[in-house]
Amino acid sequence: MSPIRVNRTIDCQGLSCPMPIVRTKKAIYEMAAGQVLEVLATDPGSVADMKSWAHRTGHQFLGTLTEGKLFRHFIRKSRPEETRAEQRFPHVVTNEELARKLADGVVLLDVREPAEYAFAHIPGAISVPLGELEARAVELEVLADRPVYVICRTGSRSDTACQMLADRGFKQVYNVVPGMCDWQGPTERTV
Amino acid sequence: MSNQRRVAIIASQGGLDTAYKVLNIATAAAAMDAEVAIFFTFEGLSIIRKDAAAALTMGPGQEHWMEGFKRANVPAIAELLEVAKASGVKLIGCQMTMDVMGLTVDDFIDGVEVGGAATFLDFAYDADVTVTF
Repeated sequence: MSPIRVNRTIDCQGLSCPMPIVRTKKAIYEMAAGQVLEVLATDPGSVADMKSWAHRTGHQFLGTLTEGKLFRHFIRKSRPEETRAEQRFPHVVTNEELARKLADGVVLLDVREPAEYAFAHIPGAISVPLGELEARAVELEVLADRPVYVICRTGSRSDTACQMLADRGFKQVYNVVPGMCDWQGPTERTV
Repeated sequence: MSNQRRVAIIASQGGLDTAYKVLNIATAAAAMDAEVAIFFTFEGLSIIRKDAAAALTMGPGQEHWMEGFKRANVPAIAELLEVAKASGVKLIGCQMTMDVMGLTVDDFIDGVEVGGAATFLDFAYDADVTVTF
């Protein structure tokens, strides 16, 4: 169990529908793209409503932790460009190709935020949030000659990560497209 | 979602339960980034009257509902109307019914527009969802 880093928490305990999503919308609107919101609620209807709300508004529902009668919902504010990934790094593999490669024990870097990684990641994936990649490049240099696969949610952040790694001399870097948003294989959760 | 949804609601009945049905769907839709308009007509106009808090009840013999609303901490109608207005829900009062009932726009809370059937239809023609209460 590792604690989840959030940028903001709102308290909707005791509030009934539709107030939890009304407050969620207001909070998300005030936050910056990429930030994670925690919503505390006791309305059991909020469990399904949060997912539907996120699906419709394009924000990312990360997951819900249930503690007795308390529901802790985690939502990440999407960046506008995430809905359609802009790919510039030339070496890409599909989710299916990655699934086959994983059997060979390849290196997989997951460059999403820690909260995203915590709720669902591919077993064996190494968590290196994009924002920390530069600082951790030295530690990763031992992998420079090995095939390295990089994944995020939609292929956008991983595209940037691939370019950074290639610039640092990594010889076999592959961007996994589309990424976790469409991953059908097994995942594990560390919260 | 890039394409914004549009929800058109007709409120033609009075009573506290109708007020909740209408405003709950409206505020939830607005929270989901939909464009929402409510057309208040006939008894539905009571929902947006300034004296709505006193006028909207569940009717005789239905007092247990009031306890239930309180127990479930359901927001007051006035609060839902504020949320609706703040999130851009368009409130349209039906001119024809107002004339019949002898009401003017001053009988309603602030922010209500007055219009006819065409005003609502102009919005509803392009709606993805239409609900009537």
